[in-house]
Amino acid sequence: MGSFITNLILASIRMASPLIFLSLAELYSQRAGLVNIGIEGIAAIGSLTGFMVSLISGNPLLGVLAGALAGILVNMIFAYATITLCAEQIVYGMAINIFAPALAAFAYRVYFGSGSELVQANLMVTLKGLLGIKSDSFLVNLFLDQTPMVYFAYILVIVTAVYFRRTKSGLNYKAVGEYPKAAATIGINVIGVKYLSCVICGALAGIGGAYLTTCYSKTYVDGNVAGRGFIALAAVIFGRWSSGGVLIACLFFGFCDALQIRLQLINNTLPYQFFQMIPYVATIVVLALIGAKKAGPKASGQPYRKEER
Amino acid sequence: MNKKHSGALIIVPVLSIVISFLIGCIIIAALGASPIDAMQYLWKGAFGNVRNLGTTFSRATPLIFTTLCACFAYRCGVFNLGGEGQFIIGSILACYIATQAPVTGAAAIVLCVVAGAVGGGLWAAIAGLLKVYRGQNEMIITIMLNYVATLLMGVVYTNWLRDGSVPQTMAVPDETQLPSFLGLRATIAFPIAVVVGIVVFYFLFYTSSGFQLRAVGLNMTAAKVNGFNVKRYLFMSFVVSGAIAGLGGALELLGTQLRLINGFGAGYGFDGVAMALIASLHPLAGIVVAIFFAALRVGSTTMQTATGVPTSVSDIIQALVIVFSVAGMAMVKLPEFRNLFMRKERKAV
Repeated sequence: MGSFITNLILASIRMASPLIFLSLAELYSQRAGLVNIGIEGIAAIGSLTGFMVSLISGNPLLGVLAGALAGILVNMIFAYATITLCAEQIVYGMAINIFAPALAAFAYRVYFGSGSELVQANLMVTLKGLLGIKSDSFLVNLFLDQTPMVYFAYILVIVTAVYFRRTKSGLNYKAVGEYPKAAATIGINVIGVKYLSCVICGALAGIGGAYLTTCYSKTYVDGNVAGRGFIALAAVIFGRWSSGGVLIACLFFGFCDALQIRLQLINNTLPYQFFQMIPYVATIVVLALIGAKKAGPKASGQPYRKEER
Repeated sequence: MNKKHSGALIIVPVLSIVISFLIGCIIIAALGASPIDAMQYLWKGAFGNVRNLGTTFSRATPLIFTTLCACFAYRCGVFNLGGEGQFIIGSILACYIATQAPVTGAAAIVLCVVAGAVGGGLWAAIAGLLKVYRGQNEMIITIMLNYVATLLMGVVYTNWLRDGSVPQTMAVPDETQLPSFLGLRATIAFPIAVVVGIVVFYFLFYTSSGFQLRAVGLNMTAAKVNGFNVKRYLFMSFVVSGAIAGLGGALELLGTQLRLINGFGAGYGFDGVAMALIASLHPLAGIVVAIFFAALRVGSTTMQTATGVPTSVSDIIQALVIVFSVAGMAMVKLPEFRNLFMRKERKAV
């Protein structure tokens, strides 16, 4: 039982990390007034790019970088359509969700053929492995047996919190999401900030996707993001648009994911699919419980037109 | 909406399709195949003979249902992204009745279809209740319900209704399968889908409830001020759209798939969303778009066999169409674009 709980905690931390990247991606986007439901799709592209680059180069870190770059590229389509062309954000996010996974699936087919054999890439080495530590105690595993990406995720949470609360630039950024016209009158480049938000969002969503193929699973399969992009949307709502809240939400959803895997391993009476439902049902229950207290950026989802007075 | 605008509703998607096919051709050429050959095989595969035409109709049928599901909900401003889950729940109920109930033949078919529609409607009602009474984001809820439905179907075909060693359910008995439509490979599910589309069209545009539903979708505050029962319409749009998808799932099981198996209904929900958006949420246009994309998929199989170009090219083309048409639709609404258009016209005069 003891090992069940320690394994559960360790797995929760691992499973929360991709969600943290994806949720922060969404947070940066929504803070600039852009609701991007396309991060699921962007993560799919990031996941494939990360996998391919890490396979070819043999370096998972390069894979993550490539995943970020691919995420930015795909999100620039969203940026152009929603910021410049003022397309409806939800609709365009859906378009990205259809386009990006199709592109990823196609690229995989073209590069690896349609054989059923799964190609495997190297996973990122954990800090413990890097330092050559042999100890197997719980604390060592908790703090050191993690890939660099996990530390990066938590550092990013802190950086985001400081940026939005303590820096002038962060406050200006938030102003764009709250009241873009007022932001423009004090000289903030609203369009610029919105594009910047899409670059950050694309990069983080790409990294979140790449995490899945460079730190979690050695293979890429279509649909491996498995709704994490949408759970991240829920995490942003659950976390009340603050990076600390988002972190708690992600740890909770990560815990659900870890619990699901652990329960599958120890149980053999119930069909395993019931356990796989846990993260999705938990998301629904959480959303149902917190209700609709509006706390998000006020101009979220609205197009910004310069000439409108 | 002025006249020029409604013209754009046709021009933009058509132009998007043309551009997407051109890009598709470039990709095919880059893969080392001849785009002209590929396009010829694509056409032959989809429409080349009566048999292929039947296959196209058969593939289009479930897509028509999920497209109509999306059209109906979005007209009320509800982003039901759960077409896939509702479709699957409909098929699960139909599967139970078709294989377990002591009825067969026409009675069983009617029972399956009704149960499928009710099941899909109830599944969507979960999201509807959470939206109306808890003000929750229906997109996330419906997507989560998709995953739950897919996993539930997994339980059904790997455990509860498993047929032997293969993870699939037993087949629908011969007497309960849908009859063929005009001797084609498509079943009567196809004309039913078209009829449902016409009914949805009539309801939305020629009844006062339909008008009120669209009014809620266009401007919820104005609808509320006018005394429309906004909550009722929101909830109704969930249930009805879910029922349409569930009906589609039941018919797909009885007509085409006959068994629940891994991948049943996968992607149909989002496909329906894409097609509804390309069709500008018009139900009849949605049918045409669904047939078009079904043709693309059916044809791409022939293309793959003949030229070696993978079928996923058709997914790319479909995805490009949605990316271009939604962006194009937004572009023609931009004031700058309209001014450009007007100036040219004035010069011409």
